[in-house]
Amino acid sequence: MSAPLLEMRNIEKSFYGVKVLDDVSIDLFAGETLALLGENGAGKSTLIKILNGDYTRDAGEVLLDGQVMRFTEPRDAEAAGIRMIYQELHYAPELSVAENLLLGRLLHRQGALGWMVDWNATREKAREALKLLNVEIDPMTKMRDLSVVEREIIEIVKALSQKARIIVMDEPTAALTPPEVQRLFGIIRDLCKQGIGIIYISHRLDEVFQIAQRVTVLRDGKHVGTRPIAEVTNKTLVHMMVGRDIEGRAEVRKNTAAIQRSDVVLDIAGLTKQGAFEDISLQVRAGEIVGLFGLLGAGHNILTQTIFGIEKADSGSVRINGQATQIASPQDGKRAGVGFVPLDRKVNGLVLGMSVRKNITLSNWRVLAPLGIFSQGKEMTNTRLWVDQLGIRMAGGIETHTRYLSGGNQQKVVLARWLEANVKVLLLNEPTWGVDVGARSDIYDQLEALAAQGLAILMVSSDIEEVLTVSHRILTIYRGRLTGEFMQNHATQEKLLHAAAGGVS
Amino acid sequence: MKSATGRSLAEIASLVVILALIVIFFAQASPVFLTQRNLENTLLDITTIGILAVFTTMLMIGGGLDLSIGSTVALCGVVIGALQASWGILPAAGFALIVGAFVGLLNGFLVTYVGINPLITTLGMLSIARGLAFVFSDGLTIPVFDLEGTQIDAYNTFTQLGEGQVLGLATPVFVMLVLFIFGLLILQFTSYGRAMYAIGGNDKASQLAGLSVRRYRMIAYMLSGLSAGIAAVLLTSRLYAADPRAAPAMELTVITAVVLGGISLAGGKGTLIGTALGVLILTTLLNGMKLLSTSTDAQNIAQGVVLLLAVGLDQLRTRNINWSRWLRGSRVVPSGASAKAAAGGD
Repeated sequence: MSAPLLEMRNIEKSFYGVKVLDDVSIDLFAGETLALLGENGAGKSTLIKILNGDYTRDAGEVLLDGQVMRFTEPRDAEAAGIRMIYQELHYAPELSVAENLLLGRLLHRQGALGWMVDWNATREKAREALKLLNVEIDPMTKMRDLSVVEREIIEIVKALSQKARIIVMDEPTAALTPPEVQRLFGIIRDLCKQGIGIIYISHRLDEVFQIAQRVTVLRDGKHVGTRPIAEVTNKTLVHMMVGRDIEGRAEVRKNTAAIQRSDVVLDIAGLTKQGAFEDISLQVRAGEIVGLFGLLGAGHNILTQTIFGIEKADSGSVRINGQATQIASPQDGKRAGVGFVPLDRKVNGLVLGMSVRKNITLSNWRVLAPLGIFSQGKEMTNTRLWVDQLGIRMAGGIETHTRYLSGGNQQKVVLARWLEANVKVLLLNEPTWGVDVGARSDIYDQLEALAAQGLAILMVSSDIEEVLTVSHRILTIYRGRLTGEFMQNHATQEKLLHAAAGGVS
Repeated sequence: MKSATGRSLAEIASLVVILALIVIFFAQASPVFLTQRNLENTLLDITTIGILAVFTTMLMIGGGLDLSIGSTVALCGVVIGALQASWGILPAAGFALIVGAFVGLLNGFLVTYVGINPLITTLGMLSIARGLAFVFSDGLTIPVFDLEGTQIDAYNTFTQLGEGQVLGLATPVFVMLVLFIFGLLILQFTSYGRAMYAIGGNDKASQLAGLSVRRYRMIAYMLSGLSAGIAAVLLTSRLYAADPRAAPAMELTVITAVVLGGISLAGGKGTLIGTALGVLILTTLLNGMKLLSTSTDAQNIAQGVVLLLAVGLDQLRTRNINWSRWLRGSRVVPSGASAKAAAGGD
């Protein structure tokens, strides 16, 4: 085999005396897609930031074409042909595709009119760049009118047109629907054919098997191994990432018969919101986890927001424990015994600059501060109880700011808040979004334990494995309408995808 | 990992050091500075700023901002002056408190329910309140004492607010300390205080946790206005007069002191201890400059510089700027060369 395009040898990096990368080496060949796996905190992003010149390494070297490189800032890495495609894209939404592609490099007219942009030439140049990847997008479209995957593709085209040799993609499919993912994969394969090396970071193992030729796993800042994809299985990868086996959950069959005899806690009838969802009727029983599966934008997220009172329904009714309830605001929702775990915990779920304790007790002031004054002892006791029960781990005890917790532990704090508020219904939105494999399994355990204690859980998810793993019963939603209902033991990926894509079941 | 309490302790410590340096400097420069009389006068002078700062702190921790407090002090004072004859001095003073609270409530309503940016809302109110103060006083300073000699007892009581003593302290100073301790307790132990930190830290998440974000915000603005009313009563009583020009640009001084004390404009963090130090540092600086016969213009300039420094440092702290890279300037280091420059880059 020819010499590698990129080598990172024996990289070490410490922050405040804590070693986050310890003797890590990776290599990447031209025309190859290398998957980089690891739990949160394993060191993936630090490694990538060193490659990109965001951080300087403490030891080790980076070689491009066998030449030692010294990057001190992203500009250096860019000049060497290394490009990052981040999860959150940076673009000017009101400008056209052509302008975004050529931002800072717009073509100007000749001669005395040199201060004017030559729009025809700019458009042509953009069209040429788009042709590199056979992308059918009009260069004059405004960026904000594109779909998420199209914006990502534009970002890749931009990298290509600037002579990229290595493209690093950090969770590029987080916001994509399955067909869009396939479109992106097509593009990635084209890139490889053109001799570009791709480093692909993802939490989704199934994607790694589809797109990567080799996979490198990091754990706790160490290089666990690099293997050709043909030599690994889902199970071996998880073992490499977590350092232990995760129970095969799909085999855990649930006692759904008993649950179907318990009381209906959440009862929704004919709920409609123009332009979002229509005539939704569903029931969740005590002890039941109902998965609501749909592709992004199918209306399931707005549905839970409406049940909790963030959005208003146009018609329909919500009953909780048999009582008709008017929920017009989150305060009403909380009062009615409904808890809401939002999509983006950092933006919507947590006050990051406040301690674990204060975040956990945020929804239970009525009990903990009945006359407006906190009973500190009780607050401490309750917090510790949930920290123990849910296994919330943090470096500095319950006064640690939630900012410093891992994604999984942050999500547990949000869960704990609603348990502390003693809710009867829990609405979850993509509960393990951005949570790594080990913590994910942990959260599933917790959800099952909570259901076993009699909580009614409605879980919205676009992650089909998650839905199949955790739910007792699964509903599918497509363009705002329920399209199918499956008991867990009858549900398969094929059936769910078919129903969630609008097929009749 | 830096602990949050450790960092705020370091901030408090650095403020104490700054205060000490300022005191030492002016004690050297002016023989009058450390006299009991000057200290007592300074303390009395800062009561208006101090009282306003307590409630501005709570408001700003909750992510709010109130530029109208100075004008509201003037308006409330003029209300006392205008109503004293017909209503009696004590009802007039009581009504001034209501006017202050109402102005604050109106600010709160416009910010939370109508959705106008707090800066714009309270800037508008700054203008309105000052304008009304001039309208109700015909632009003149109104004497506030018993002109007709018919309400001697009432005026004596009123005058005691500004001139009397409680527990050996001048009444305004006592009121300021009580409000300060009250504020400390509220921020530390009550759900209202907790709500300020939560809302200022992340109002969306607080809303989704089921807090009545709007109601808490309204209360914070109302208390800010009420504090202007309290300050106005004490000031009017102390000066025997209500002046529509009173408390000029007071909001600037208060916000400067509060920001200096570590309250972030973004909200969600800071303590009243920091605010107290901020108030002391700023007022000591201004008092010292006055003793050295510096012009008010120079004092204004100094205050502006302190405000920009405080906000600027706050910004830099939160952004975690890579100083060495910034100082070095951006330059591409070629492969293999100048390893030292690269190694120093983090």
